[in-house]
Amino acid sequence: MAITASQTNPPQSNLLPDGEPLPSSQLSKEDHLEILRQLYLARYFDVRLIKEKKRGRLRGTLYSSHNQEAVLVGSLFGLKGTDWISPIHRDMPAFFMKDLRAGWDNNDRIGLTIEQVCCQVWGKQDSPGRARDNWSHIGSKSKRIIHSTSMLAGTIPVAAGVVYADRLNGGDAVVLTYNGEGSTAQGIFHEAINFAAVHKLPVITIVENNHWAYGTPTNLEYSQEDFARRADGYGIPGLIADGQDVFDVYDKVMMAVNHARAGKGPSIIECKTYRAYGHGDHDDDRAANYRPEYDAKATYKDDIEHARRDPIDVCKKKLVSLGFITQADADRHVCEYKSADKTKDEDFPPEVVAYLKRGVEYAVKNPVPPAEEGGMWVFRE
Amino acid sequence: MAAIAEPTTGIKKNYLTAIQEALAEEMARNSDMICLGEDIGILGGAFGCTMGLQDQFGPQRVIDMPISEAAIVGSSVGMALNGKTVMAEMQFIDFISCGFDQIVNMMATYHYRTAGEVAINVTLRGPAGGYGGGALYHSQMNESWFCHSPGLKVVVPSTPYDAKGLLKACLRDPNPCLFYEIKQLYRDSKIAEVIPDEDYIVPLGSAAIRRPGTDLTFVTYGQNVYHCLQAADILAEKGYSAEVIDIRSLVPLDEQTILESIKKTNRVVVVNEAPKTCGYAGELVARINEFAFEHLDAPALRVTRLDTPVPWVQPLELFVLPSVEKIVETATRVLRF
Repeated sequence: MAITASQTNPPQSNLLPDGEPLPSSQLSKEDHLEILRQLYLARYFDVRLIKEKKRGRLRGTLYSSHNQEAVLVGSLFGLKGTDWISPIHRDMPAFFMKDLRAGWDNNDRIGLTIEQVCCQVWGKQDSPGRARDNWSHIGSKSKRIIHSTSMLAGTIPVAAGVVYADRLNGGDAVVLTYNGEGSTAQGIFHEAINFAAVHKLPVITIVENNHWAYGTPTNLEYSQEDFARRADGYGIPGLIADGQDVFDVYDKVMMAVNHARAGKGPSIIECKTYRAYGHGDHDDDRAANYRPEYDAKATYKDDIEHARRDPIDVCKKKLVSLGFITQADADRHVCEYKSADKTKDEDFPPEVVAYLKRGVEYAVKNPVPPAEEGGMWVFRE
Repeated sequence: MAAIAEPTTGIKKNYLTAIQEALAEEMARNSDMICLGEDIGILGGAFGCTMGLQDQFGPQRVIDMPISEAAIVGSSVGMALNGKTVMAEMQFIDFISCGFDQIVNMMATYHYRTAGEVAINVTLRGPAGGYGGGALYHSQMNESWFCHSPGLKVVVPSTPYDAKGLLKACLRDPNPCLFYEIKQLYRDSKIAEVIPDEDYIVPLGSAAIRRPGTDLTFVTYGQNVYHCLQAADILAEKGYSAEVIDIRSLVPLDEQTILESIKKTNRVVVVNEAPKTCGYAGELVARINEFAFEHLDAPALRVTRLDTPVPWVQPLELFVLPSVEKIVETATRVLRF
């Protein structure tokens, strides 16, 4: 009789030593409120860019992280500033949310500023890469963000090399790489994690399973249900997180971080979520054809489980149940279950709107780089 | 052409020893240097280039990698991003294609796309070249793939002195370098030579004149340097004086040395063992037309491999590769034009 996926052992559920409390249970009330604020910020960034693009103020493609914000906020929140991250195209808010816990206006925090990220989106010269490559293809050595290319999973070996060097220098940094579930089919995904596993390198691979690799559904990408099972082949933990629940993501990532920092090696964390729009905004109309349940104008009308649970709503319910906010607080700014074109600025806390406004205004005024820069910096002289 | 230190007295060393010495000396002078590759530690490398290195510097700095050129290149980039100097060995340069994306898209572009923030100090080196019966996948010269990817320096030494000096120059250059070792020369006692005991480098982008001449210039590199020297001997018997320029470094290219030679000879033949179409020989011919057009009395021609893979058994292999006879024949056409 054939063995089906359901008959094999399920992926490892957690990495918690016996008797230890969940990492999220140690978070303070202020941490909980900050997490909600960061979810709002990530959502507003996305909404604002979609609106700017529709008004014709932006060039280039947008890769929306709408409905996937819990993966970003939950995974970044517990990192040290000295840890490294490697975000890709659907993780744009990660660039300015790294080390955000150290203070939104803290110039010493180890992450890019909202101004820098907006300059990148607008193609302006104060982008960290001086607008030489587009969208998420930025990074910063000093801010410990690895610069991605368009080649999926291509930064995982780079991440492994970075922490190999860090460990040689006596550091304790971990690295978090972000990948879509589609990129797990790349050879380099396997080749890099295999190397990391052999050397027990602190490489944590986040697999954002949003159920669509551009126009291809998961059943045509992988023969098993859970992408966390990729870990089995390397003898490393493969955890599954509810990608709609920021606290579950936080718990699973912190388990992996603690495991890695203790010298026990890499792990894979599959965050199950759902892509709200098309692959990029150029694809929004066609997505309606290949995804029958898709409706760009009413993102949440479909019946897909992960699309029916807005991460901001899930977070608010948790905060209400813990008594950290009242229902009236939760209802003050409601952006959840709304597509970008139905969302207004009043649906977000004013400090979130103001923070992004600052970045956008800076970027709009910032000049484009001079043309001759196109010929510069091929080599270090 | 840059000035080069004169060899001192001492014993003759072959091309392989020169590479071993360069690696050991650089590892000793730079505690931030790491070596990685397949079988380079416990075994000491398929050809022995890293023999003894792991014993001397430990397994953390001399890493036996899983068989994955892409992981070797990608993790080298990450180590360099985090401040290390990296030597990564390709067991055969033919296998470099397995790491192609990491080289051309990740490594080559890093400095450019970060607007100069990050320079990747990685030297990828490996055995290359035909004439040894290595067949399709152990005989390649695929350097043009990387010359065609802006951001990479590409070097092909033909002597022990250059092998050591150029490898050190690559390891001290902040940019990614590809270092093509001619495996037929590794243990060739005919080219063994005395090399200085003291530290030296051969600067990237400096060509060497291997034989002076006045009637025709051969522009070449790698083991074809020796074919051109033999061709020059034959031409001398016929009354022609041929100059042989070993460019050594393809990117950057020393155009000045080539130009000065052509000003004198007015005729040029380019020789390399890569396939003809879109090979570096074609690039050299095109450049010579650009920078030396008014000095040419005849079209610049090239002798290359046929547009084929490198076959295994000898008559087939020698049929497709440049030979002394083909070089003399082409040179004679140019001289009689």
